[in-house]
Amino acid sequence: MAADLAIEAKGLFKSFDGKPAVRGIDIAVPPGAIYGILGPNGAGKTTTLRMLLGIIEPDQGRRTLLGHERPLEAAKIVGYLPEERGLYPAMTTREAIAFMGALRGLPLEIGRKRADILLRENGLGDYVDKPIKTLSKGMAQTIQLFGTIVHKPKLVVLDEPFSGLDAINQGRLEHMIRDEAASGTTVIFSTHVIHHAERLCERVAIIAAGQIRFEGLVSEARDRLRPQVRLKTRNADGPWRRSLPGDAALRDGHWDFELPKEGVEPLLKALIDGGAGIEELSIERPGLHDAFVAIAGEAAAREMEASEKMGEAA
Amino acid sequence: MMGLFEAAWVIARRDFIATVYSRSFILFLLIPFVVFGAALFTSVLTDDEQRKEMQPDVAVVADSATVQALNQARTRLAASLPDRILPDLRAVAPAENVPVQAQRLLADESGGYSAVLSGTIDRPVLTGPTKIDEVIGERIQLIVDDARRAAALSNANVNLPAVQVERVVTAQAAGNLQMIRRGIARGTQMIVFTVSVLLATLLLSNLAEEKTNKVIEVLAAAVPLDAVFLGKIIAMLGTSFVGLALWGGMFTLGYLFVQVVQDWMTMPEVGPAVGWPAFIALVLLYYGANYMLLGSLFLGVGAQASNIREIQTLSMPVTMLQVAVFLVAATVVGREGGWLTWFAFLFPFSSPLAMAAYGATNATLWPHLLALLWQGIWVVLIIRLSARMFRRTVLKSGSAERFFSLNFWRKPASE
Repeated sequence: MAADLAIEAKGLFKSFDGKPAVRGIDIAVPPGAIYGILGPNGAGKTTTLRMLLGIIEPDQGRRTLLGHERPLEAAKIVGYLPEERGLYPAMTTREAIAFMGALRGLPLEIGRKRADILLRENGLGDYVDKPIKTLSKGMAQTIQLFGTIVHKPKLVVLDEPFSGLDAINQGRLEHMIRDEAASGTTVIFSTHVIHHAERLCERVAIIAAGQIRFEGLVSEARDRLRPQVRLKTRNADGPWRRSLPGDAALRDGHWDFELPKEGVEPLLKALIDGGAGIEELSIERPGLHDAFVAIAGEAAAREMEASEKMGEAA
Repeated sequence: MMGLFEAAWVIARRDFIATVYSRSFILFLLIPFVVFGAALFTSVLTDDEQRKEMQPDVAVVADSATVQALNQARTRLAASLPDRILPDLRAVAPAENVPVQAQRLLADESGGYSAVLSGTIDRPVLTGPTKIDEVIGERIQLIVDDARRAAALSNANVNLPAVQVERVVTAQAAGNLQMIRRGIARGTQMIVFTVSVLLATLLLSNLAEEKTNKVIEVLAAAVPLDAVFLGKIIAMLGTSFVGLALWGGMFTLGYLFVQVVQDWMTMPEVGPAVGWPAFIALVLLYYGANYMLLGSLFLGVGAQASNIREIQTLSMPVTMLQVAVFLVAATVVGREGGWLTWFAFLFPFSSPLAMAAYGATNATLWPHLLALLWQGIWVVLIIRLSARMFRRTVLKSGSAERFFSLNFWRKPASE
């Protein structure tokens, strides 16, 4: 196992009641990265995170967390926001944040002071002494997130952090994740919403049906697909048509096709020389969504969309 | 990772504050006062008249001389025995056929007779069901015997004046000492048992809050589950000590008040075999051990329950277990040997109660050290087992730790 990785997992297997939940998960998260685990509901994201944190033990495989083979040994420098948010309803926001810090070895007094600062800086100063039970769901989730980072961990693990948050709070959370990463903290989060991962992550793992389908840089995932060319010409026919690749399709007066391997210049030359009369030509890099469809398959993509809709409804 | 005790302390502090500052804790504190008050109120309501009504009535179908002799005998006996243990005698004039009259009297619900005494003091006949033999039969026998003795002495013109027994006062008598110490032992067991029963449901439902609020996931990711269990038990132990301090304080105040009212009665000279200070210390230690043992077991069992209904279902067998343990421990009070005595001392759940009683009746101190060590080992084992069960069945995970890992108590050197 490489010592310079924040998280490394090799061949993690876990089954519940004889049914496999994850099958051979390999993950490598470099320190300081924002790392996303993408997959539809039931893909095995939460099980993977719980195994990485030592909440459950894998049936097979090994993992290290900040160099520790027993994850609890790194507990003081790890923050964790579980998918099912958990706070004591009678506790005040300050005490809840300080308590979560205390669980990670932060003295209560320091935890209380940092809680005050976190709340004030995020416009929640008026809620310092409010019991959790009086807060909205989104606000309680924000409080738990503060509790996750109050002890200034080196690694933050967030399980579906965006679910249940409105757009404003999602933006705030994205901002916080970037801030954490900017300060050198490694952030790993699971999500079924591709655009969060696309906006935030340098690296992702795409997981479907308990298996890793892709693990690496987001750019690598996107590079698996050729850039898409969209072309509109004045002339409907002519010699230029011969320069179009075989997969070119005419939709709504536009030709859509993958950029040929030779690049854009030979294509342009052939179109001009062939008398196409170019009206519009755009070259788009494929998004992570397209990469996800290509990697995980249409079925997994549909499940992701369904998960996303369910998340929005919740 | 924090050390086990450091982590347990964080959990314990949170739980303690959350419990002590809750409304339900105030109710919990009030329960003994409510129970005691209700008992006092009931005893006041159950006045002499009512107690009288509860005494069995015996119809005396006899001539007036016999009735008078029996009533006098009863009065004499009542002077030295509690009146309520003697049946009330009610004279009924004899009819022609006394056996038939006796049957009628027993069948008459308005009369409410438990038995009918007829004949004379030399040839008495007691009519009634066999089940009255022990209570009424033997006591009627006492009355009849006394009446006959009085009649015989009177016929013989013998007058026996009452003699005042001369008292030679000693500091103590072995039999009396033993009786009092056994009383202290049983009283102590009863107090520890009662408080444990009061707290059993709280213990059973102790992890329900974390499971309901999903906090358990946060805890399990941050600290060892052993620390969660230990912390919760320590918190509940602390909570119960608050209760004991309040109840004990109120009791002491009440005792002092009675002393003031009764012109400062002298403190009882007879105490437990090890002396009061050592005994109180032992009782507190055994109370703690008893609590930790039952607490770790109940917490482990309760942690398996997924809702309040399941916890309520578990309450019955748990209470039965406590009663069984209490009965075993109470049975061996003052006993020196025998397998049951050793069982009570060694069985982890009865050991604290049995050993607390041992402190009251026996002056030897070193067995307590062994007993506390033994009970401590069991606390550790049960907490480990409970945590593993929880990990396996609730978190659906095996444990990477070995059951008897020596690293269990050690604080890791670094992160």
